[in-house]
Amino acid sequence: MSNAPRQMALQVSLDDSATFANFFVAQANRQSVAYLSGSAGTELEFFTYLWGGVGAGTSHLLQAVCHDADARGQACFYLPLAQAADYSPDVLEGLECFPLVCLDDLEVIAGQDAWEGALFTLFNRLRESGSRLLVAAHCSPRELPVQLPDLLSRLQSGVVFSLQVPGDEEKREALQLRARQRGIELSDEVLSYVLQRNERSMRGLFSLLERLDQFSLQTQRRITVPLVRELMEQASAD
Amino acid sequence: MNWQNCISCLKNELPSQQFNTWIRPLQAEVSSNELRLYAPNRFVLDWVKEKFLSRIQELLRENASGRPVNIVMDIGAQRTSSSPVARGAVPETVSRLENTLVHNTLHEPGASAEPRPEPVSAEPASRGTSLIRRSPRNMEVIIDGKLRHKGSLNPENTFDNFIEGKSNQLARAAAIQVAENPGGAYNPLFIYGGVGLGKTHLMHAIGNYLVSRKPDAKVVYLHSETFVATMVTALQLNAINEFKRYYRSVDALLIDDIQFFAGKERSQEEFFHTFNALLEGGQQIILTSDRYHKEINGLEERLKSRFGWGLSVGVEPPELETRAAILINKAEQSNVELPGDAAMFIAQRLRSHVRELEGALKKVIVHANFVGRPIDLELVKEALKDLFALHDKMVTIDNIQRSVAEYYKIKMSDMLSKRRNRSVARPRQMAMSLSKELTNHSLPEIGDAFGGRDHTTVLHACKQVKNLRSTSMDISEDYNNLLRALAT
Repeated sequence: MSNAPRQMALQVSLDDSATFANFFVAQANRQSVAYLSGSAGTELEFFTYLWGGVGAGTSHLLQAVCHDADARGQACFYLPLAQAADYSPDVLEGLECFPLVCLDDLEVIAGQDAWEGALFTLFNRLRESGSRLLVAAHCSPRELPVQLPDLLSRLQSGVVFSLQVPGDEEKREALQLRARQRGIELSDEVLSYVLQRNERSMRGLFSLLERLDQFSLQTQRRITVPLVRELMEQASAD
Repeated sequence: MNWQNCISCLKNELPSQQFNTWIRPLQAEVSSNELRLYAPNRFVLDWVKEKFLSRIQELLRENASGRPVNIVMDIGAQRTSSSPVARGAVPETVSRLENTLVHNTLHEPGASAEPRPEPVSAEPASRGTSLIRRSPRNMEVIIDGKLRHKGSLNPENTFDNFIEGKSNQLARAAAIQVAENPGGAYNPLFIYGGVGLGKTHLMHAIGNYLVSRKPDAKVVYLHSETFVATMVTALQLNAINEFKRYYRSVDALLIDDIQFFAGKERSQEEFFHTFNALLEGGQQIILTSDRYHKEINGLEERLKSRFGWGLSVGVEPPELETRAAILINKAEQSNVELPGDAAMFIAQRLRSHVRELEGALKKVIVHANFVGRPIDLELVKEALKDLFALHDKMVTIDNIQRSVAEYYKIKMSDMLSKRRNRSVARPRQMAMSLSKELTNHSLPEIGDAFGGRDHTTVLHACKQVKNLRSTSMDISEDYNNLLRALAT
């Protein structure tokens, strides 16, 4: 922790677009999202563990919870461990003063003694201070290669949710729904083209739709496969 | 200098997320010519310095009609604030050690939703007096005007809600004895066993019992890591005498997970003297560890032997009926009804430790709320299907064979071989028995996986292991160790 300038390179600010409103809720994830957003009528438990593969949206949801906390004026601390793991575990010290701590990419520190010890201490202190802890990882707590048994058992003590990546059919529906909200109707050909060629995370797809909408307005052309191709070619040329 | 004005300006200028993450947790101490800001750790401190300090300086200068303001930034917690931002103007300086030496006595889990560094009163305690302050939520004992005993007892952990079973009845009985006769024959009480088996619960139960019998009892519970961290701070601040006085003035000292002292020589040295002083003074010591005191590597011999002076009791993994009873009890605590068959179903599937049971139950409750149905066996199966699927995926016969071979240091090929000498036959029988216990495979399938053996061989192995577990402590321990390792 003595190397302050390096720490400053960390991007620990929240992504503004990672909100609940911007999250496409796949059928399989309805319960997890309702629980996290509080719309299920229950509060977050002391400890919640989210896991899911790339594109499942764990990081998005973690940040969405933080945005909600911010909106309520509640201090929270979001830390993507993938960006912090090169630094000292001291970064976890004293975080029990936050009512909500969100740690992303937990798998990055699993198996590292010092980090596991620091997380174990933080876990105990958060519990003692009545704060809440929300973590996200790419695998379940059972599969996490944590060496410290005391930590591993604690990681299994919370509400665990696995997030599913939406299927292609769900992505197609979500994209069409979002397009209709903008007053656009996408043809089957356009949808297939986009899903086959664009980055297929929901955020990537929604972002493309936004750009398509703008491009269509600028060029005064309908959204067709040639228009999508043109926009994608422009983007890759940039 | 007006820190409140500065806070208001920053709140208006910054995005709320930035304000809430970086500025809100800062604690301020204001004096006539200095503002001292405390950050929870170095990371926050450096961030604030880099991103916001110059603006804070500007704002304060504007507020002070252009006079320069000295800002000191430090790590730690200012003593007397209930809300760091809302307060801020408390004219006193307090050492970091004091803050570290503060621990909640009666703690209400989940009660707080706002930043609350230390729930203590604003006025400084005067030297040379002892007093007790109490509020519905927490109690602190102030000794000699400076040291406050506030030891994180969790009021939810009592003897009443500790579920007794064969695996823990000895430990529970010993804990009750100690609670009724603190400082008596069982001093120290040393509770040992695997993770998540209720050691900490028993420890808190004793503490709560002591406080209920004698409300002004100075009962301090802390994790061994906190003891170490506090001592390091005391050394840094040249305040080791205060540290000593603090820990030696308690009626009961409860230290959790003492195995974390391993390799920390200075902490062991300090704890050794504290231990002796408490024992001489007839004050109760209660310790927990993940293993028997003689087996804690990296611990000084003199400490190991002292830990055995009182009473050492082990806690074993709970058996099926106890696991089910624990689930039903925990459900009741959450005002939820968990039918017996549903509890048994979860207990049959999850057998490693109580924490996993707790996690599963929470998931079931969340699921029941979401679907709006009462909890029954079907709902439990729905709620936990992911967890069980994962469990089945991970506990395979191959996995069991490998783990058992590794445990007994034999070759994997011996698991499948025809060799019948005991050094390989016993581990093989153990692996067969565990495969029967932990997987849904039939006896013929298990036999096939062990080099094409007949299903009667598997049945014989299961019976043999069952008999041996009841007659041999070693076999029983091996079986439990393997079961725990595979089921976790």
